[in-house]
Amino acid sequence: MKSLLYKEYKLCLVPMVPLFYLFALMLLIPSYPYQVAAFFTCNSIFYLLKQASLNGDTLYSAMLPVSKAEVVKARVRFVVIIQMIMFLLLIPMILLNHRLFPGGNPAGVDGSVTLLAFVLVVFTVFNAVCLPGFYREEAKIDRLFLFSVIGVFGWIILSEGFMIAAGAARDLAPFFAWVESHLDCYPATDGAWGAQLAALAVGALVYGAGTGLTARRAADIFQRVDL
Amino acid sequence: MQLLEVRGLEKRYPTFTLDRVSFSLEPGYIMGFIGRNGAGKTTTMKAMLNLIHRDGGQVFIDGRSFFDHERECKGQIGFVMGEFDCYKNATLKRITEVTRRFYPGWDQGVYEGYLRRFALEEEKKVKALSAGMRVKYALALALSHNARLLVLDEPTSGLDPVSRDDLLDVFRTIIEDGTRSILFSTHIISDLEKCADYITYIKGGRILSSTDVLSFRESYRLVSGSREHLEMRRPKLIGCKEHAFGFTGLIRAQDEAAFAACRIAPADLESIMIYTEQEDGHEESSL
Repeated sequence: MKSLLYKEYKLCLVPMVPLFYLFALMLLIPSYPYQVAAFFTCNSIFYLLKQASLNGDTLYSAMLPVSKAEVVKARVRFVVIIQMIMFLLLIPMILLNHRLFPGGNPAGVDGSVTLLAFVLVVFTVFNAVCLPGFYREEAKIDRLFLFSVIGVFGWIILSEGFMIAAGAARDLAPFFAWVESHLDCYPATDGAWGAQLAALAVGALVYGAGTGLTARRAADIFQRVDL
Repeated sequence: MQLLEVRGLEKRYPTFTLDRVSFSLEPGYIMGFIGRNGAGKTTTMKAMLNLIHRDGGQVFIDGRSFFDHERECKGQIGFVMGEFDCYKNATLKRITEVTRRFYPGWDQGVYEGYLRRFALEEEKKVKALSAGMRVKYALALALSHNARLLVLDEPTSGLDPVSRDDLLDVFRTIIEDGTRSILFSTHIISDLEKCADYITYIKGGRILSSTDVLSFRESYRLVSGSREHLEMRRPKLIGCKEHAFGFTGLIRAQDEAAFAACRIAPADLESIMIYTEQEDGHEESSL
């Protein structure tokens, strides 16, 4: 597995991956749907997959002394590493965001632990759409990316819209008030910490289980594929 | 024990079927895998190595099931599918640095020897190599990890005659110690005449013959005669070419007596292949 990850790093990594980490700086925009920053990491992974396809990476990898399942697992692990680096980069950006804009984010979820949970869902949706499809027919990666954009932005619009709606409706129902004061704010109280860490745990569970299932599905598909 | 044993390998496509392909290869020999374009050579090789999903059959490498011990078996195989066509913007050095990590038996000295022998420069990018040089690079990678079995799909295509001859010498050297074998497909029959010990002939997804070269050649004869000779004996011809003065054709050795009145000569591999491929319909040629 280490050798396959090394292969991913030396032969598959494209400049867009480190370059697109700069989109973490989007959290320094005063009013913005911050989950979009995570989408750009997905975008860089699309370039990685596209380049791998053009480079004949799949056939090269399958000819190495590893099983087809290991080829897929290594690729998914590499994608997870890329996504986790972005995840970690977002943490200091969230701290800065809070310093710069203590009033919160009118355009969606605040720079908060909840944002990290939402980002994990963005990654999960992208992985579930793009990775199994890539191993089914890598030539159709462009179309898969389009589907993943629809999926990812579907989630972003839904979740950000919910947060905006909760903010607007906080005086109408206690639930919305709770969302606004516990989830959609930088954790200033013990209650908010608890709620947001719980949200992060759910996000981590969704990401872990979702990406695990995605890896298994992609490996099953790849076993049946003719190279 | 057989180093390679293919048993009943099957792969079904809508328009083509690899039909229970079976053959075996002992250590210390070179087997030529021949057949027309689309006969199933590459499909067989890919199915053997799990690069395409087989519908049935088994492959054993040194007695171990390939599909149950894929990683270990692949480690013993050097596989080349024509020219190296991956990572065109990467240097050979970078690709080799990655590739060698996968093979515990990688021998850097042997690899560097092949680089010199094939005049390959490690600092060059794949896209800067000619087709022939890419084949040589693929071969250098496959030959440098002490693989016991080399599976080579048209390794000599794209090489100039001098390089081809040199490569055939390499093949003979590799099998000299009696522990390693080579299975290679080619359309260049003269290469097989020079170095193959065994021939496996595939036609339309079926193995027609898998035997040693001498027996293979001995089981056929080339005949030529007049048109009168032809008319009575046409059913016994595997394939023939008619011309103004008569015909030339291929027969099975056991049918030799029926052609006593014709000129009979030993069959070469190329003639066997050409006439066998006509089996479903004799070809007319005119002068």
